[in-house]
Amino acid sequence: MNRASKSLLCAAAGLSLLSAAGCAPGEDTADTDPAPAESPASSSASSPAESSAASSPDAAAGSGNYADGEYSGNGSYIPPSGTSEDVDVTLQLENGVVTELDVETSQKNPTSKQYQREFTSGVKEQVVGKSLDELDVDKVAGSSLTSQGFNRALDAIRSEATS
Amino acid sequence: MHTLGFEAIGTQWSLSTAVPLAPDTQAAVADLVDSYDRTYSRFRSDSTVARMAEAAGSWKLPASAAPLLTLFDTLQRLTGGAVNPLVGRSLEVLGYDAAYSFQPSGPPAPAAAWAETVSWTADARGTMLTTAAPVTFDIGAAGKGQLVDLVSALLADAGHREYVVDAGSDLRHAGAAPLRVALEHPYDTTRAIGVVSLSDRALCASAVNRRHWGDGLHHVLDARTGSPVDTVAATWVLAADAMTADGLATALFFTEPRELVREFAFDYVRMFTDGRADYSPAMAGVLFP
Repeated sequence: MNRASKSLLCAAAGLSLLSAAGCAPGEDTADTDPAPAESPASSSASSPAESSAASSPDAAAGSGNYADGEYSGNGSYIPPSGTSEDVDVTLQLENGVVTELDVETSQKNPTSKQYQREFTSGVKEQVVGKSLDELDVDKVAGSSLTSQGFNRALDAIRSEATS
Repeated sequence: MHTLGFEAIGTQWSLSTAVPLAPDTQAAVADLVDSYDRTYSRFRSDSTVARMAEAAGSWKLPASAAPLLTLFDTLQRLTGGAVNPLVGRSLEVLGYDAAYSFQPSGPPAPAAAWAETVSWTADARGTMLTTAAPVTFDIGAAGKGQLVDLVSALLADAGHREYVVDAGSDLRHAGAAPLRVALEHPYDTTRAIGVVSLSDRALCASAVNRRHWGDGLHHVLDARTGSPVDTVAATWVLAADAMTADGLATALFFTEPRELVREFAFDYVRMFTDGRADYSPAMAGVLFP
């Protein structure tokens, strides 16, 4: 399991680089990040070269041997800014393919993390949801459904991260 | 109701009509959608917008461009530049590019200033748009709504009196029977936060829960910074036409409703990422208690 977690983290940390690179440099995160990795960062996944190589030998060797289920891990990596970042990764595996992937980093958009947390605690008093199954409605209006191109591209990235 | 479904401009469409669409009407819809896409898509290399990204110049656009550009002129003014169709370049920088690379190529990049970069004139023959630099247009803030309106007008011209045009949940309704529409919970798509009744109006929604490709990376960007917004989770706007509803649904991510009601007639529900919601007086009672 240790081996599986480690190589999955390598794979997923490659993706976290993608998202971390999009954030504003120099954002102050210390006081808003609710929970920096509680357990110490795993140093093995921390070099940029290793984490950006989605198909590290270790990950490739383990491919196909993972049981379905949810995996999570945390670690750190060094982004271009040079400051080590904590990474929390949670993913769902089905038949060796990542079906859900959540990557949180200590720097990336701490406010959204905080909002998300406030949302879950405040929503019951503010906006209450009802199950769509219980509602007799003709249509649902929300964010527009994503295009096939968008979804195919995301699928490709996810499967690359697992290979 | 009879329903015709298809995928176009990156979303799923369905046209519901009391009377089935005649083959020539179906063909006209397909032509209209294709022509719009060929002008405005930043995801195809043969579009007018793709050529605008290569060099500054003057571009002939269809007559329908004038109302769209007028709306963008107004929205970018009322939002202090946060809504700006030149945000296409900012989306590309964050990875939402024509190749769907989802690979950020640098830090968030502000869009070029609208008024200094783009000018346009319109007459009966069409619209001429002149750019001062290569630009990547993304008319996503209101373009889908406009195409909903154009398709609706085509159906009305073909004699249809009862229809629903649905482009990925941007809706325009006509007919005697109101449509009950659930407002999708932005953080749980199996749930709704309320139900509105839609009758002879358009309803457009914008939310950040789909079209995201990384933590905090989604498609609603503030053009002034090039960064995704993080205080508003979802908006819904009812207006007489879908282009206006669509544009206002985006503008509500960046500006207060009181700024927009000076120049537009609309109703809205807006939900923030901290779980609060606000809404126009006519929408009281729409949200579940």
